[in-house]
Amino acid sequence: MGLPDGSGDLLSKMDGDAFRRLFPLQFYESHFVKSTRPDGRSLTEARETSSALGAVASADGSALVKIGSTTMLAAIKMEVMTPPTESPDEGCIAIDFHMPPICSPTVRPGRPADAAPVVSKQLSDTILRHYGNLPVVFVYCSSGMINLKELSLISGKAAWMAYLDIYCLDADGALFDAALLSAIPVVSMNDEGKVVVMSEEQGGKEAVNNGKRKLTLSSIPFSLTCILHKKYILADPTAEEESIMETLVTVVLDSSGQLVSLYKPGGPVLAYTSAIQDCVALTRQRARELQAILDEAISGMEVD
Amino acid sequence: MKLIISEMVGLSIGEKHFIQGGIAQDIRSDGRKRLTPRPINVKTGVISQANGSARVRMGATDVIASVKAELGRPTALQPDKGKVFINVDCSPTAAPMFEGRGGEELSAELSVALRHCLLGGKSGSGLSSLLAIVSQWNVFESNCRVKIWVPLFVSGAGIELSSLVVVEGKICWDLYIDGLVVSSDGNLLDALGAAIKAALSNTGIPRVNVAAGASGDEQPEVDVSDEEFLQFDTSKVPVIVTLTKVGKHYIVDATSEEESQMSSAVSISVNRQGHICGLTKRGGAGLDPSIILDMVSVAKTVSEQLINTLDSQIAAAEAGEDES
Amino acid sequence: MAGKGGATSSTYAPSPTTQKTKSLIFGNNDVDWVRSDGREFHQCRPAFFKTGAVNCASGSAYAEFGNTKVIVSVFGPRESKKAMMYSDIGRLNCDVSYTTFATPVRGQGLDHKEFSSMLHKALEGAIILDTFPKTTVDVFALVLESGGSDFPVIISCASLALADAGIMMYDLVASVSVSCLGKNLVIDPVLEEESYQDGSLMLTCMPSRYEVTQLTITGEWSTPKLNEGMQICLDACAKLAEIMRACLKGTNSTLEES
Repeated sequence: MGLPDGSGDLLSKMDGDAFRRLFPLQFYESHFVKSTRPDGRSLTEARETSSALGAVASADGSALVKIGSTTMLAAIKMEVMTPPTESPDEGCIAIDFHMPPICSPTVRPGRPADAAPVVSKQLSDTILRHYGNLPVVFVYCSSGMINLKELSLISGKAAWMAYLDIYCLDADGALFDAALLSAIPVVSMNDEGKVVVMSEEQGGKEAVNNGKRKLTLSSIPFSLTCILHKKYILADPTAEEESIMETLVTVVLDSSGQLVSLYKPGGPVLAYTSAIQDCVALTRQRARELQAILDEAISGMEVD
Repeated sequence: MKLIISEMVGLSIGEKHFIQGGIAQDIRSDGRKRLTPRPINVKTGVISQANGSARVRMGATDVIASVKAELGRPTALQPDKGKVFINVDCSPTAAPMFEGRGGEELSAELSVALRHCLLGGKSGSGLSSLLAIVSQWNVFESNCRVKIWVPLFVSGAGIELSSLVVVEGKICWDLYIDGLVVSSDGNLLDALGAAIKAALSNTGIPRVNVAAGASGDEQPEVDVSDEEFLQFDTSKVPVIVTLTKVGKHYIVDATSEEESQMSSAVSISVNRQGHICGLTKRGGAGLDPSIILDMVSVAKTVSEQLINTLDSQIAAAEAGEDES
Repeated sequence: MAGKGGATSSTYAPSPTTQKTKSLIFGNNDVDWVRSDGREFHQCRPAFFKTGAVNCASGSAYAEFGNTKVIVSVFGPRESKKAMMYSDIGRLNCDVSYTTFATPVRGQGLDHKEFSSMLHKALEGAIILDTFPKTTVDVFALVLESGGSDFPVIISCASLALADAGIMMYDLVASVSVSCLGKNLVIDPVLEEESYQDGSLMLTCMPSRYEVTQLTITGEWSTPKLNEGMQICLDACAKLAEIMRACLKGTNSTLEES
């Protein structure tokens, strides 16, 4: 850390690209002083975000989300199961986050990426209801985004098993934000009403749920990941920024602006309350942007 | 793969030239012409526990194939057909490069090539649905070795799969064909193909009597006879001919020394009618389409001899087995 | 059958498309049937290619043929694994995987080990391995949606990604398959056609050099039919390569194939 003495001479001789590789931290800090970042964003500005629905026809619902060059493809497959006896009138959702080898130079086939199970767990915790057994780092509050009772078909006999799989196609930082954003429209638009369930009493087939039905989301979570570095707060980091400055804070707020979860997995920087409050404020602002993007994507879908 | 073989064989530059030059002049190192195969030796019934088995030797190449029949359930996709699975193992003692996990890649390659070469017409199954069945079987057969079971649908060209059905949609015979490479001196695929053909002709499937009265979704009760056996008609099962290209020429039945000098190889399976039942290309270098067609017609001629030799060998082996 | 299998059989997909009866779709030797997407027998689906789909890779390409959607990333040339022996030519490492939702029934396409080695064989003849000694080029493919003819699309897409990464090749590699349905040869089959095929032929070639790098045939073929099938594929590969070339040059990359 810190430039060696006489690096001033070195700096003047070195070209920008070499400087970026050799002294990445100094390179970034020299930008931060001017309240800007190497990719031209201001410190608290998120990258350009887009969302497109219905990308995969073989799934029951899908969404493709891009935040900068981070790309996520989420899709849901609905299958029918016999509900467990403990909860006869509830369905189930299994959420899995995958980082296939195509998404990053660090992922090799046959070896799952380190980040994948972490993001997977974060997603399940955010999307599903969850009680008790909270890890210490989670400042937790149940978001109850999905009412699992809505996934029931015939009490005690048949219910939906929803497999939500999110694939990272291009990993360039803020993976959780992108994954969550891609998961929301997919969860809300599944269930196409195509299922035919055997009804034993009549011995024939009978459609249990006619017509399209949407799951109602009681609240929609939006998240923003920030990097804390010295006195700076950087919103929506790229992979390069995440690798250089290690203290991340992820804030999840629901649509009414209430805190759903806060995640700070260690890191060398200790956050003051004020920094956390700043992060929450940034997330609140970001949530409004994301809500608009989501609305646009969904309305685009309904026109079709 | 090519690289590994040439390293393992360890030929000097002089030896390489000798092999290549000999092939160019139509006299190979062991005195054969380019299109002359090594003498083939077939012995059937080598494994008594299996329903059928055979051992095929071509020079120093030595392989064993066994057929095991088990009662199973037909797939929903094809309720009127039985299932066939092929799996190849390379014994670590067969060649130095098979030690440890070295043989796994080759085993998988051979299994896939055998499927491509023997997978007959009227299969009614694309690659993807075939694989679906494989993965299911990996689950069900979890007590067995977890290996790549390659289902093989030889109907129009080989075994009549509908003859394997006992009760439509409920019970059928599953054939597990295991290949074992005991000793390797080139041309494993052709040897395995011949061994499978011989093993199938040696296979007896017990007659099954179905108890009447089972209805609805229940699995009917069956009585497997241990006296009456049914035989396959294997005259339609194709043989595999691999043509290995060395320099400008191609040769049949290459030894591993010759294989180390190959630029590419094409394995073609041909049945008695001279129809191509499968083809797979191995080795990276590109080939002109006209050369491939040329190879196909050569493979047809060679296959005729091979089928005749094999049939007489199988008949002799069966006769010998009966006597003993 | 139970035991381990019990866990997987507890749920089922509501409408497996595979249970339709065959006779309804293809009359055995009926010359008049129409393909489900209205194409002619020797007409490929419209092909769409885009390079640079994945930012963090050295080169990448996205290919879309009807419902078949594939992404291929190329990494390297980079350091070979430590355990690898010294090699004075470069190494090629291929991997093919499917998303869980790619196939009509969930999780069917997951295990495609053989595709990886087949992709390796289809590509290695085209890459000038001498240009990156001691290092490895990784080619990773992910099938987002399986809509039939997956493997030919993977190969074509992979060669485009290699070109995008600046890996030296003798020529682009294009691949096309035909299915044999009754008496008819059908090019670029969709999933449904593949599942009812009597035989298939997949040809991979370098069109400018007129060389076949990979050929796989299943089912029973007579020689005239084989000739016909190969010729159809070679012609289609040449056209496909033009589309791929146009994509690399950055010109109009969506072209209708005929």
